[in-house]
Amino acid sequence: MKNFRFLLIAFLLLVFFFSCKREDPIVDIPIKYGNIGFQFTHNVDGQALVVDTLIYTNAAGNNYMVNEVQYFVSDIVLQNSNGTFFSFGTGSDVHYVDSDLPSTSTWSVPDNIPVGSYTSIAFTFGLNEVRNLSNVFLNPPESNMFWPEFLGGGYHYMKLNGKWVDTASNLSAFNFHLGIGQTYDAVVVDSITGFVQNYFTVTLPNSAFTVREDKTTTVEIIMNMEKWFNTPNVWDFNECSATMQNQTAMQRAIENGGTVFSVGPIQ
Amino acid sequence: MVAGVAAVFFLLTACTKEVPVTVVYIGDSTQFNPKPYTIVSPWFFPTQMNIPADNPLTVDGVFLGRTLFYDLRFSGYQSADSQMCCATCHVQENAFECGMNGAFPNGHPVGITGIATPNVMLPVVNLVWQNDGYLWNGLIHPDNPQANRRSLEDVVSMAVYAHHEMQSDTNKARNAIAVISGYKPLFKRAFNTETITFHLMAKAVSQFIRSIVSVNSKFDQYLLHQISLTTSEGNGFVLFVTEQGADCFHCHGGDGNPLLTTYQFYNNAKDSVFNDSNDRYGVTGDPMDHGAYLVPSLRNCELTPPYMHDGRYTTLDEVINFYSEGLVNSPYVSPLMHKIANGGAHLTPQQKADLKAFLLTLTDYDLTSNPAYGPPPSFP
Ligand code: HEC
Ligand code: HEC
Repeated sequence: MKNFRFLLIAFLLLVFFFSCKREDPIVDIPIKYGNIGFQFTHNVDGQALVVDTLIYTNAAGNNYMVNEVQYFVSDIVLQNSNGTFFSFGTGSDVHYVDSDLPSTSTWSVPDNIPVGSYTSIAFTFGLNEVRNLSNVFLNPPESNMFWPEFLGGGYHYMKLNGKWVDTASNLSAFNFHLGIGQTYDAVVVDSITGFVQNYFTVTLPNSAFTVREDKTTTVEIIMNMEKWFNTPNVWDFNECSATMQNQTAMQRAIENGGTVFSVGPIQ
Repeated sequence: MVAGVAAVFFLLTACTKEVPVTVVYIGDSTQFNPKPYTIVSPWFFPTQMNIPADNPLTVDGVFLGRTLFYDLRFSGYQSADSQMCCATCHVQENAFECGMNGAFPNGHPVGITGIATPNVMLPVVNLVWQNDGYLWNGLIHPDNPQANRRSLEDVVSMAVYAHHEMQSDTNKARNAIAVISGYKPLFKRAFNTETITFHLMAKAVSQFIRSIVSVNSKFDQYLLHQISLTTSEGNGFVLFVTEQGADCFHCHGGDGNPLLTTYQFYNNAKDSVFNDSNDRYGVTGDPMDHGAYLVPSLRNCELTPPYMHDGRYTTLDEVINFYSEGLVNSPYVSPLMHKIANGGAHLTPQQKADLKAFLLTLTDYDLTSNPAYGPPPSFP
């Protein structure tokens, strides 16, 4: 009885496999693959970022320093010169960069990328509404980026922390943080009426590159930090030094975000 | 459909019959029985645990460690008045600190020879999720150039050596335990050897410490939607997690980080002069780390006075007043203390009461009463 059942199942499985085989495509065009990697770097006024040192002046004339910058890039899309788009699979669709954790500045994408020439690279700065859900990252360092559920949940897209010399000549702290914004009731203090998705798409200028078979192409993505504070909106820390819960400030910040990134050497 | 499921089930059961059964010795106290010990926590806790590959948690290893943690003979001394164990200072009912209600009324423990510890206590709770260094200054971390200053296992031997703790040495401690014949079967079960070494003692104690988790406070039950917070607690929670409010969450976690700390090291604006050679700067040499210390978890903070590394505050009200209007500026203050220019968050009396009410929801009575974390039923 038992043997009979096994035989029957083995027979059914065989039939199943063979029937599948027959439907396989007859012509199999071999695709060749290479790899891509990214190097995330941070510049201020054209020079590599020096943290913890009061050496910068922004467009508003604030004397400032940067202590750390931490952010997510996600949903990278490579546009092929043949017009098609390539996006990375699960597991390489989000990358976290942290100036305190040097290992995060190098990202070797595991996905196999079809060889060929590509015209541009685009990505989401932060996390879109589908990804930006509370408790999707349970482990540090990503979990330390959480954005309170009360304020819309998910994660900070970016924490950029530093200090500047305020109008009273004191060294004050700024928290230039981006994430989900809120709209507030005009009358009732702290009463939130809605949430605003503040993530944005960055298409890197001059980001054409080539993927060669079995080679890794490395693209340097530069965050030009001073641009957060000058293009198009001039940012004065004396007017705003903490962006969370201030959608007007957040909106101005993301407008500047569109100009912040550039591409360095591609190898 | 039902028939199909039944058939699959039958098939599976039919198959498992063919699989040989591993023989496990249950109930024989002399056998090595590496049954894994599982840490159970709500789904929103971290999934990565800081457990070294060469010291996995086993039921018998944790039990041995627990016995040693509570055994006064661990210090290696014979006379009762100079005996000490980990639990002398790390007291379960005070969330594994000494508190101010026990042997050390000012909350500042004193070692076997009467020398006070340089800092007040840290709890041995949720260390299985602490990755960036132990102790107030993070001295014990995986990249420490000194090979014996890297792991939790190393902290255990430091506690034995420290003149402000047990002022003993690991040979003394080993010998004191090795002469007790009743320990041999416990080591056999935990490590498959009756040869007792300090190395194995430290491994067992570390296993026990890693098993101590606080995951069932009122706040956890709230996150699991099992209960709701009172209006005051809820308002305090909002203050805790909002930048315009009290802004505690960037360092002390919250709904997205139930550990209630990032386990990073920051200067939280208490002083303007820094001369403690045991601060974070003493470990990293990074000038920004002057006056920086481990961000302690706020879990069970109700039970763990005094507060801050030097125990300068004895009540949570004092701590809240400090964050509200007592901040002191210096070049080393963490930028996450962004209310520094105004000297603090300037909370109203009602807001202070709400913030405190929230902090009290972080107390976990499971931790303080769970018999599995208490003394063993008997000592060998
Ligand atoms: C005399 C009191 C005392 C005794 C006894 C004692 N400890 Fe501690 N323990 C402390 C104090 C104080 C600290 C905080 C030390 C610091 O960082 O300055 C501490 C810190 C620790 C930490 C680090 C926690 C963290 O978050 O980094 C661990 C682990 C620990 N103890 C384990 C033990 C073990 C295991 C024993 C027994 C072998 C023990 N302790 C015995 C007082 C004591
Ligand atoms: C910049 C990060 C940071 C922020 C923001 C912050 N803290 Fe802290 N907190 C710390 C550090 C670091 C310590 C330990 C400092 C020390 O020991 O000298 C600490 C200690 C404490 C302690 C004492 C815990 C203990 O076991 O000794 C309490 C309570 C506390 N903080 C509550 C709060 C509250 C409430 C807020 C919001 C009003 C807050 N903290 C905001 C970093 C921070």
